[in-house]
Amino acid sequence: MNLPSFILKNALRNKRRALLSVLSVAMSLFLLVTLQVALRELTNPINDEGSSLRIIVRNKVSLAQPLPARQLQTLDRIPGIVAVTPFSFYGGLYKGDEKFTSFAQFAIDPQRALPLISDAKGVTKEQLDAWSADRTSCILGKMTADRYGLKVGDRMQFTGQIYPCDLELKIAGIYYGTADDRNLMFHQKYLDELLGNPGTVGTWWLLAASIAEAPLVTDRINKTFANTSAEVRAESERAFVLGFVSMWANIKTLIGGISIVVVFALILVTVSTMSMAIRERFRELAILKAIGFKRRELFVLILAESFGLAMFGALIGAGGAWVLFNNINIQKMTSGMFLMFEVTPQMLGLAFAVAALLGLLSAVLPMINVARISVVQGLKTLD
Amino acid sequence: MSANIVTIRSLSKIYQQGDINVTALDKISLDIASGEFLSLMGPSGSGKSTLLHIIAGIDRPTKGECRVQGIDVAKLNESQLADWRNQNVGFVFQTFNLIPVLTAYENVELPLLLTRMNRAERRKQVETALEIVGLADRAKHLPKQLSGGQEQRVAIARALVTDPALVVADEPTGNLDSHSAQEVLGVLRTLSHDAGKTVIMVTHDPKAAAFGSRQIHLEKGELSK
Ligand SMILES: Nc1ncnc2c1ncn2[C@@H]1O[C@H](COP(=O)(O)OP(=O)(O)O)[C@@H](O)[C@H]1O
Ligand SMILES: [Mg+2]
Repeated sequence: MNLPSFILKNALRNKRRALLSVLSVAMSLFLLVTLQVALRELTNPINDEGSSLRIIVRNKVSLAQPLPARQLQTLDRIPGIVAVTPFSFYGGLYKGDEKFTSFAQFAIDPQRALPLISDAKGVTKEQLDAWSADRTSCILGKMTADRYGLKVGDRMQFTGQIYPCDLELKIAGIYYGTADDRNLMFHQKYLDELLGNPGTVGTWWLLAASIAEAPLVTDRINKTFANTSAEVRAESERAFVLGFVSMWANIKTLIGGISIVVVFALILVTVSTMSMAIRERFRELAILKAIGFKRRELFVLILAESFGLAMFGALIGAGGAWVLFNNINIQKMTSGMFLMFEVTPQMLGLAFAVAALLGLLSAVLPMINVARISVVQGLKTLD
Repeated sequence: MSANIVTIRSLSKIYQQGDINVTALDKISLDIASGEFLSLMGPSGSGKSTLLHIIAGIDRPTKGECRVQGIDVAKLNESQLADWRNQNVGFVFQTFNLIPVLTAYENVELPLLLTRMNRAERRKQVETALEIVGLADRAKHLPKQLSGGQEQRVAIARALVTDPALVVADEPTGNLDSHSAQEVLGVLRTLSHDAGKTVIMVTHDPKAAAFGSRQIHLEKGELSK
């Protein structure tokens, strides 16, 4: 026997209790990691190069205010822009859905939008041409197509929620490989037609020539339309999404609060379990002292035991979350609410830091007690 | 062999309980020869355990002096005292105090984990100790698989595994039936007779005390004979 195996035997002395405390640590840390992942997912918009290159121009007053379609000619003349297209959020209710449609439908100009959707894969040249040619056709993200079992050539019906018109669209192609493979893209022209050509668009969507150019472009656009009847706000797609995300601030606070409660409850449980485990052994610890074990060595025994249990719990809980979330298709499971459910090294770090804190905190009380009690007092606890 | 291993001079232990002082030991002087098997007798509360604890270095006197092998034990600090106990004293208590999750072998090995001995050296020591108490064949047993007498003999093996000069036993037969008590007392006697250890045993049982080579009596903190 050596000291590590002595520590192990001590930790496993009450197997059920050891198991329960490891499980409580594991489950709490699993929950903590899951909360962190969800939080990140909800508040951290896709951050690729494209989302900095792509620019969204909306009405300065509010997103709900349309922009005049004639702004297009002006936009076309602003330097640094590679492509610009109308970009109107239709926001209809899909016929297959009861109350809530989880994917967005955007009215765009297919020809003008091509450079903006160049990362979309799975749509052939012929399909693209067919889409461009047919006002009533659309392209659809693969996630949505899979969800409803749709294929090229199928028709989709929408009831207007924002616009006073319904849509029937034929699927010309199904794409994947973009930041969000859920969306549907159809013709702005078709929407205009259904609305009786009001001469407005929801927003403009455009592509800057380079990342360096992007901020200059937004600047130019904002200045160009300043003091016109429809002032605009141009911002990178990323900034635009971040604006939405700020609505999640309350959720962020909530999740943060829950996380703290989880950790706190866990600390209380672990601390009391560990003090109980050590109190039962007080007499034995006194005997060890008599035999020649010093405080320092007893501290090591206690600390290693509580640390070991907490770390083992973290390994199962945080490690389990990592393995699990790496191996499930979260898009499918949440019907596209979450795109990726990634456990980052920082989250694992957090979980193990919490576990280390637990190990430390739950050892403190027993260590103080052990330090305070003399051999004679310890022996008397049962005599 | 004949030199004194323990010399005690005007040793007092006074417990302070609020306003009242409880005198557990009152100016005791005592010499214990090396290799002696001393039976320390007396009624409950007479200070037997207190005296034993001071000699064994787990309690400190209020006044007076207790030297073991010439060392004034009370002058050592906590850490030095721990090392001193590990090397010089073996403990046997009334309740057997084995670690329930460790086998007999591992319980006996415990004090050696604090030494620099390697595994093989430890094995030799543990086996010898178990041999002396007659339990070599029970090495792999857990305490709960042993009888009370066997448990106490394992405790004795643990007390002597570091080869200490002094073995102290506080009512080692207090929890045993008479047959097991005989075995345990026999082992303690062997320790002093054959292994040359000094054994100090507290007991209030005259039959047990008779195993000792000398008997002394404590009465209200004073030696009565
Ligand atoms: N920690 C203590 N505080 C106060 N009094 C104590 C303490 N320990 C022992 N005593 C008292 O000292 C006396 C001797 O106790 P002890 O040595 O345990 O006696 P014995 O072992 O002979 O039964 C008793 O009167 C006991 O009440
Ligand atoms: Mg006593």
